[in-house]
Amino acid sequence: MSRRLDTLTELLGPAVIVILVGALATTASASNEVYFLNALVFVAIVVAIYVFVGISGVLSFGQISFVAVGAFAAGVMTVPVDSKKGVLTSVFPLLRDHSVGNVPSLLLAAGLGGVFAFVVGLPLMRLSGLAAGIATFAVLEITHNVLREWTKIGPGATTLALVPETTGALQATLGALVAIVVAFLYQRSRRGRLLRASREDPAVARSVGVNIHLERLLAFTLSGALAGFAGALYVHLLGSITTEQVYLELTFLTLAMLVVGGLTSLWGAVIGALGVSGLDSFLSRAEQSHVHVVLTFTLWQGTRLVFLAAIMALVLILRPSGLTGGRELRLRWSLRRGRG
Amino acid sequence: MPEAAALELDGIEVRYGSVSAVRDLTLSVGKGEIVGLIGPNGAGKSTTLHAIMGLLPAHRGEIRLHGQSLRRRSAEAIARAGIALVPEGRRIFGDFTVEENLRLGLAARRQAYIGDALGPAFELFPILAEFRRRQAGALSGGQQQQLAIGRALVARPDILLLDEPSLGLAPLAVDGIFQAFTEIREVGTTILLVEQRAQRTVALANRTHVLVGGELQMTLGPADAEDTDKIIAAYLAS
Amino acid sequence: MSTIASVDLQTLGDAFGQGAIYALMAVGIGLVFGVLRLVNFAYGQLIMAGAYTLAYTSGWPVAASIVSCFAVVVTLSLAMDRLVFRPLRGSSPAVMLVTTFAVSFFLQALALIIDLRDGTLGQIASSVAPLNQAVSVGGVDVRKVTFVAVGVAVGALVALALVLARTTIGLHTRAAASDFRTARLLGVRANRVIAFAVVVSGLLAGAVAVLLTVQNPFVQPDFALEDTIIVLVGVVVGGIDRLWTATLGGFAIGFVSVLVNAALPTDKTVFLPSVVYALVIVVLLLRPAGLFAWGRRAAVERV
Ligand SMILES: Nc1ncnc2c1ncn2[C@@H]1O[C@H](COP(=O)(O)OP(=O)(O)O)[C@@H](O)[C@H]1O
Ligand SMILES: [Mg+2]
Repeated sequence: MSRRLDTLTELLGPAVIVILVGALATTASASNEVYFLNALVFVAIVVAIYVFVGISGVLSFGQISFVAVGAFAAGVMTVPVDSKKGVLTSVFPLLRDHSVGNVPSLLLAAGLGGVFAFVVGLPLMRLSGLAAGIATFAVLEITHNVLREWTKIGPGATTLALVPETTGALQATLGALVAIVVAFLYQRSRRGRLLRASREDPAVARSVGVNIHLERLLAFTLSGALAGFAGALYVHLLGSITTEQVYLELTFLTLAMLVVGGLTSLWGAVIGALGVSGLDSFLSRAEQSHVHVVLTFTLWQGTRLVFLAAIMALVLILRPSGLTGGRELRLRWSLRRGRG
Repeated sequence: MPEAAALELDGIEVRYGSVSAVRDLTLSVGKGEIVGLIGPNGAGKSTTLHAIMGLLPAHRGEIRLHGQSLRRRSAEAIARAGIALVPEGRRIFGDFTVEENLRLGLAARRQAYIGDALGPAFELFPILAEFRRRQAGALSGGQQQQLAIGRALVARPDILLLDEPSLGLAPLAVDGIFQAFTEIREVGTTILLVEQRAQRTVALANRTHVLVGGELQMTLGPADAEDTDKIIAAYLAS
Repeated sequence: MSTIASVDLQTLGDAFGQGAIYALMAVGIGLVFGVLRLVNFAYGQLIMAGAYTLAYTSGWPVAASIVSCFAVVVTLSLAMDRLVFRPLRGSSPAVMLVTTFAVSFFLQALALIIDLRDGTLGQIASSVAPLNQAVSVGGVDVRKVTFVAVGVAVGALVALALVLARTTIGLHTRAAASDFRTARLLGVRANRVIAFAVVVSGLLAGAVAVLLTVQNPFVQPDFALEDTIIVLVGVVVGGIDRLWTATLGGFAIGFVSVLVNAALPTDKTVFLPSVVYALVIVVLLLRPAGLFAWGRRAAVERV
């Protein structure tokens, strides 16, 4: 009985909190709504990273590559054909002369993210430790470099604009929920549990016949598909995007969210994404009350980052296992400790 | 009050997480004694030595050196207070020279020294002097064990803890190091010897405690060395 | 045809200069990793702080300016250890690394605030700029800083190698890097070797700050950030487990980047990062424990 309850809270906890944030978004003023939507898209991205990094225990700096591919694929393919002739002149005719709708673009992004992750993961999943971290980082660098410089597949270093802004409260909430449900089903599946067990002790896992390479590749591919999907949500939220927005800063920020929340649990991924985005939004609001001259604006930008970074560092120093301690939400736990 | 024992364990319990590996262990080692601690694999012998060295905290009970509690002291502080551990598996620095390994032992040395600081090691094991410029990893197993013991001795500790020093050594090398223990005792160093070679240990030590499943089973004296049945019975009791 | 040979020599000079600076950074990162098992992403911000110090003391005599640069960087390095690394000891490598991201952003944001007090972004560090002038060696123009960089790197590395090999603190540091637990068992003082590593790593960051401001006197909050990332990659590719393989890795990635850049056709140089990082992936796949780590398996299993 209590085990079924645990299973239920493991899924419902993250789902309910995401729906709450989505509901708040609809009641917020137009200028505030974007903060909530942003937080929800970050939930999708961080959960995508969690599916690989959190469950396998292998550090990857490369998952934002799949977000980038998803964002640019969905973006390029949804700019209306008429507008493309003006803004995306140098791309392949196939890309220039066709466009798809919102939902197909999300699916396309997920598919591309998954395929890309599979191709990359095939050789790379043999690595672990720092070597895996650096190799996946190299993937990020190459992806960024190619997206930025190869103008036959996208806008290159210029801004991709005129992307339909279809990520409203509904799409953001559903998108985050899709990521959460997929992550939940995977971590509860036999394969997900095997991979998590291999995290604790790779040697033992191997000795009982777990093919770690294969299990990691599966998680990496799934994570890539979710990341591509999240990238599509992101581009449809922003309406315009540059390669710099899906590169280093986003990588560090989302990894920090995951670690601050608690690397090893879905609940931690969700709490980390919402908590850090919430803090960031709060500090941005504080900043906006000071927008008078360009100078004070940027000064405040510095102050906001100082606070954000200091708080993240403090959380990690005082609570190295993250806000949730890396555990899933449990009813007993939440009753004992109160909410949050 | 009589003089405090060199080393006393008073009802200690040591845990790994929530599992206790050693329970209610009380024993004392008097100055200049050799005390043996034997028992099957997994009995908690290494755990006990690690607790003495401050590598693991004692969940309950006290560990005292010359009557003073060692609670909450770090391993490096305990080393500098006069306890030296020759760890299981020797843990020599294979990439370093023999001399560098010995000089590392000086890190715990308390008084200034006159003459050759590495003397205590070289007197006991002349081969180390001969090989002082060689890579430690290139020595034979027996020589590496001599190096590990020598490295502990150059700190001139009051108490020497040894964790299965004869493990994996050829019979001749085993004779050599057991001989060395007698010589070490002669210069006044106190020894707590963890071993699997029960009979030899019982014969050498002033007292030998048998640890099984984390608890003290029995204490044997040198006279029991020939009584193999008794030793075997102690091992099997659990 | 004769110009090709001279261009090659020039490129080679640049490659050595870049490699030397990266090697110094690699030692700074590798030393701290050795004793703390911590990959310090915020290493670049030590260099950035040094560069700002040089900029703000540009009016001072050059020697005073350089001394204050070293003072600031070493102080900051010790503060980082005290406030961040020490509480993190024993945490998982991922947590340590991500915390140093946060520290890195914190310091960059702080620099932004300080920098913007005068209303413009960026400061000029000009005191050591004359080193950027070229000297002609056998008909080839080589910037003075190239010689200085190579000289400083060789000097610093030799000095450090001597200290590590010959002194007690050097012996203790090497022991701690190879097996910290056993070293402590033998009475090696953890805080002392860590402080040693942190101070030396800070001194190296100070030296790098001076050398980098010669090449690029325009100091901004992200000064040395990209270089640090590349060096971190190089250090792991070379083999982070040992100081000398890490150093070679740093040197190699600096050296190779310059050569690849020169070898690529002009219209393809924009793809330099792709080529370099593709090489990185290939090397990691072939030698996961490190390019120069012969006959050793990866000791750094988990991060
Ligand atoms: N690091 C550890 N974590 C958890 N349990 C341990 C650890 N080290 C030893 N143990 C357990 O503690 C018990 C005692 O181990 P140990 O002291 O090494 O035995 P001995 O040295 O007598 O062979 C064993 O059951 C062992 O499995
Ligand atoms: Mg043992």
